[in-house]
Amino acid sequence: MARFIARRLALLVVTLFVVSLIAFIVPYLGGGDPARQILRSRVSDLALDPAAVEAVRQQFGLDQPIYVQYARWLEAAVVGDFGKSFTNRQPVVDMVSGALSVSIVLALAALALAVVIAVPLGILAAVRAGGRRDSAILTLTQGLVALPEYWLAPLGMLVFAVWLGVLPAAGWTSPESVILPAAVLSLRPLAYLLGVTRASMINVLASPYIVAARARGLSQVRTLRRHAVKNSMVPVMTLFSIWLAGTLGGSVVVEVIFAIPGLGRLMYEAVVNADVPVIQGGVVATVTLAIVINTLTDIGYAFLNPAVVVGESRG
Amino acid sequence: MGSAPGIAPAETILRPQVRVGAVARLRDVLGGFHWTFLVGGTFFGFVCLILLLTPWIAPYDPITQVLTDRLQAPSAEHLLGTDHLGRDVLSRLMHGGRFSVSIAAIAVLITGVTGTLLGALSARIGGVFDEAIMRLVDALLAFPEVLIALFLVFILGPGYGTLILALALSGWTPFARLTRAITLEINTKEYIEAAEALGCSRTFIIFRHVLPNAIGPVLAQGFLRFGHQLISVGGLSYLGLGVQPPMSDWGAMLADAQVYMIRSPWLVIIPGLAIFLTALSVTLAGQGLRQSTLRRDRPAATPLEPTGAVA
Repeated sequence: MARFIARRLALLVVTLFVVSLIAFIVPYLGGGDPARQILRSRVSDLALDPAAVEAVRQQFGLDQPIYVQYARWLEAAVVGDFGKSFTNRQPVVDMVSGALSVSIVLALAALALAVVIAVPLGILAAVRAGGRRDSAILTLTQGLVALPEYWLAPLGMLVFAVWLGVLPAAGWTSPESVILPAAVLSLRPLAYLLGVTRASMINVLASPYIVAARARGLSQVRTLRRHAVKNSMVPVMTLFSIWLAGTLGGSVVVEVIFAIPGLGRLMYEAVVNADVPVIQGGVVATVTLAIVINTLTDIGYAFLNPAVVVGESRG
Repeated sequence: MGSAPGIAPAETILRPQVRVGAVARLRDVLGGFHWTFLVGGTFFGFVCLILLLTPWIAPYDPITQVLTDRLQAPSAEHLLGTDHLGRDVLSRLMHGGRFSVSIAAIAVLITGVTGTLLGALSARIGGVFDEAIMRLVDALLAFPEVLIALFLVFILGPGYGTLILALALSGWTPFARLTRAITLEINTKEYIEAAEALGCSRTFIIFRHVLPNAIGPVLAQGFLRFGHQLISVGGLSYLGLGVQPPMSDWGAMLADAQVYMIRSPWLVIIPGLAIFLTALSVTLAGQGLRQSTLRRDRPAATPLEPTGAVA
């Protein structure tokens, strides 16, 4: 077990190093001269004073070779210093962590809603797979997958904020302002979680110990509750953790529409403003979180089911 | 040897199963498909036909502004009304759809081919190559595709090509996983062992044995991915990262309309509905196709074998 965890952690460090390299270099590929960008984002003057450009270049160490810049950046990043935003001169760490705390609330609310609806429906569909109820639920999920968030969001605002006046249209001020964006964001993961619950449940229900439990005379409800549900939840947990990681930095559209100060919107605005330090910090934060969540899920399985450590060949 | 008394000649047993006439033959062909494939496929075909004919059948020019006619409700003159610059919404919808649908289609074609080949190669070569490809797939899964698109837009600037590249960079993984799984299963078959023993090359085995087996599921996956990509295209152009003004696709139309949502709700409803219905139709088609490939893989009843007659 200890060796398994050590290997996963070593892999995590290597991946993080690669990610830091990509996160550092990519923003420099597009923007042209970063010194000019910094100045332009501050003074919005198209004709820049060459002396000022040179001063900024020296001040930010941009006259050094790229590997020296990377080493300096990495050295600071390891202790949590990603520099200051080009646009508002706030420390990137504060901006990213503030945005992240918002995105975590939004993502957890959306995914909790998705799980609460998807798991019971998935089990219902699986119990009589191929039946009328099953195909109705399947058709519903196909409809959900095809619904664009950037369409539902304005329609939701129109109905619940403008016409009914029961929910705030946008912003991130009161607890009620979580409801509409979380609901919009929950539909797609709901569809996928439902599909996985159904498939996993069908598998479990066909396994010998379920047949044995039924043969011993356990009622269907008791069999489901005692044996089937718990065992069918492992693939659902995997998908949940993938969606959690993806929703934290990936709900750009919903955060932009609802004016939510989360990580997705922060990254979007950083790209629009060519705010290189924020892009770097945001990417490192998003990917690190995704990898950490993945690693924790893997280690969690190893505790639940020690066969995972032996090898993935049993799956 | 003559036929034994009491056993009907083969022809009479066969006859009821042989259908004649064009309608019956069509029913035979279509009967092989799931109904959702037929419904979804027909609707999607209809959408494609309209988009192909758009330059000839669109009622107005999509970028001509008639400011005196702005924000009109749907009427006989403008079937879907006009937008905030007095442009005909139906014409803009038709021209915009050409961008949305073609970007999604090209992205699916590229990712379908590359993903399928990578998946098959990964499973046939195995070892370090397989491990590397699968870790890459995991890494891409962990990285939200919107952020990849944002990155690319930052480097290359917004536009048609950037959108396709962004969708292609992250979109090949489902195809690779699918084909890899199928190939791993085929790897255990005896005919592969036989082909290997004969000294067939890797390329030959992949093209002759692996791909023909994978084509059905890959096609179904292609339809499903198309729906997904269409929605992604809309999202990215909603954010202003796609087709640039004065042209616009469905996502950009939605973004333009949002300011006028309260006064003119149809401006928001119509482009979103276009994306929804098109995505839904391809998703249904994909699911139906998946169902019918599953059905075909089961041991089929063989109606033309007159069992019982010759015994």
